[in-house]
Amino acid sequence: MTPLLALCRKEIASLFGSTAVYLTLTGVALVSALIFFDHLRLYNQMLFVYASSTMGGFETDTIPDYVNLWDSVFFPVMETLGLTLCGAVPLTTMRVFAEERSRGTDELLLTTALAPGQIVLAKFAITFAFVALMMVASFVYPAAAIERGGLGAQHLAAVFVGLLLHGVGVASIGLACSAFTSSQLTAAVSAWAVAFVLWDFAWITPFASEPVAGMLDAIALRPRYGHMAEGFVVIADVAYYFGLAIVGMAIARLSFDLRRIGT
Amino acid sequence: MAGESATTPSSSAACPAVEAVGLTRRFGARVAVDGLDLTIPRNAAFGLLGANGAGKTTFLRLVTGLLLPSRGTVRVNGRCPVREARAVQRGLGFAMETGRLYPELRVAGFLRFAGSARGLSGKALADAIERVVDAFSLGSVTQRLVGHLSKGTQQRIALAQALLHDPPLVIVDEPTGSLDPLQRREVWSALAGLVGRRTLLICTHDLEEARALCARVAVLRAGQLVAEGATDAVLGGADTLSLFRPAPGAAPEPRA
Repeated sequence: MTPLLALCRKEIASLFGSTAVYLTLTGVALVSALIFFDHLRLYNQMLFVYASSTMGGFETDTIPDYVNLWDSVFFPVMETLGLTLCGAVPLTTMRVFAEERSRGTDELLLTTALAPGQIVLAKFAITFAFVALMMVASFVYPAAAIERGGLGAQHLAAVFVGLLLHGVGVASIGLACSAFTSSQLTAAVSAWAVAFVLWDFAWITPFASEPVAGMLDAIALRPRYGHMAEGFVVIADVAYYFGLAIVGMAIARLSFDLRRIGT
Repeated sequence: MAGESATTPSSSAACPAVEAVGLTRRFGARVAVDGLDLTIPRNAAFGLLGANGAGKTTFLRLVTGLLLPSRGTVRVNGRCPVREARAVQRGLGFAMETGRLYPELRVAGFLRFAGSARGLSGKALADAIERVVDAFSLGSVTQRLVGHLSKGTQQRIALAQALLHDPPLVIVDEPTGSLDPLQRREVWSALAGLVGRRTLLICTHDLEEARALCARVAVLRAGQLVAEGATDAVLGGADTLSLFRPAPGAAPEPRA
């Protein structure tokens, strides 16, 4: 087994040895279910009201266009899931580097045959794999909405890619934050701050000049995620998320050099 | 950052295990290691002594390449840890202070990881694990979680992982700092078994430990070398403790 594979294996063992990871996995699945069933309940209530005899029911075509599975269930679920991931993913990334630092085991890793770049690569790869697992757990409900709404497999794939890339993007932010501290709390809080600030800049558009607003929109998570929730996988969006992962890895790698120089 | 002078790398048996020349490390305004000139011979147990904050751990981090020097040079088995950090690290085993392990892993899994991370695999890895398990009497705990074991056993595990790849230089930082007397004896016994076959650099502030294990010692105070020589000569005097009294205004050593 190569040193890199050995570290990946150790990361998996450490990951699944952490209670916070199981809680996060369960929490995301639970919140996804609650969000989905809450919106489904509201949708059914609206349908019931419009379909009742006093409103004329389906026969008289009085149900407005906006009362549909797409607008009433699918989009709100996706929107809330995106935000949920911004909150949940840092709970799994906070320990990845910070715990090594606080235990002092980072020095054990650095005195093996593993190069800092390999350590960063292994930790990012295993975290991304875990994010994919988390996506599978939370994807059941959007998938059900898509299936019932007759949106097709292509849309289903786009939505899954969107959720996965969004999770990977937030994980990259979380891992970069974790690489600069020995406090898991600081890692989580700083990752939340960055992820929620990056989520959407639409609120600032009225106050910013056009070029600034355009630039902020280009680095925001929500528009990219939104495209894929609508069923479009745009190359620029995929490149954005890959860029986020590469920047996250570069920042984490830089943290090792800064520690050697350390003042 | 480093004022490293380039010389031809060499790992010949003639060169000392560690050679520091004018080695200096600053953390902001504080000088943790101050112009240190020190030569550690091969195949002997060498003790690095000093009070807390004397610069011992910073020196070890400079030797292992975990920190870059602000000035001066250090060579480990003839190689420069600034420019050849990986090569230097391949030739050393580093046993850190107690507790710096992965408590969620089983002992066997941890040793397998530590060996694989140093490039061992297959039969070589299995043989290395068997060798260190025997050497450090870990046979009865291989299937237990590291975090569930006593500090003495954890320290033996830390030593075992440092020896998996049979390195010529083993660095041990505060091996018995937080152990009870029985656990200290266990660890001393394990360390004594290594003496003579490889270079052992032991960083400690425990004089009894240095006397028990080391042929030569060096004493640091405020980052400077204040004494160096045969253990009996350095620690045999009437006023040994004066060597350890911190310089006025000395601050605790930072964790880089």
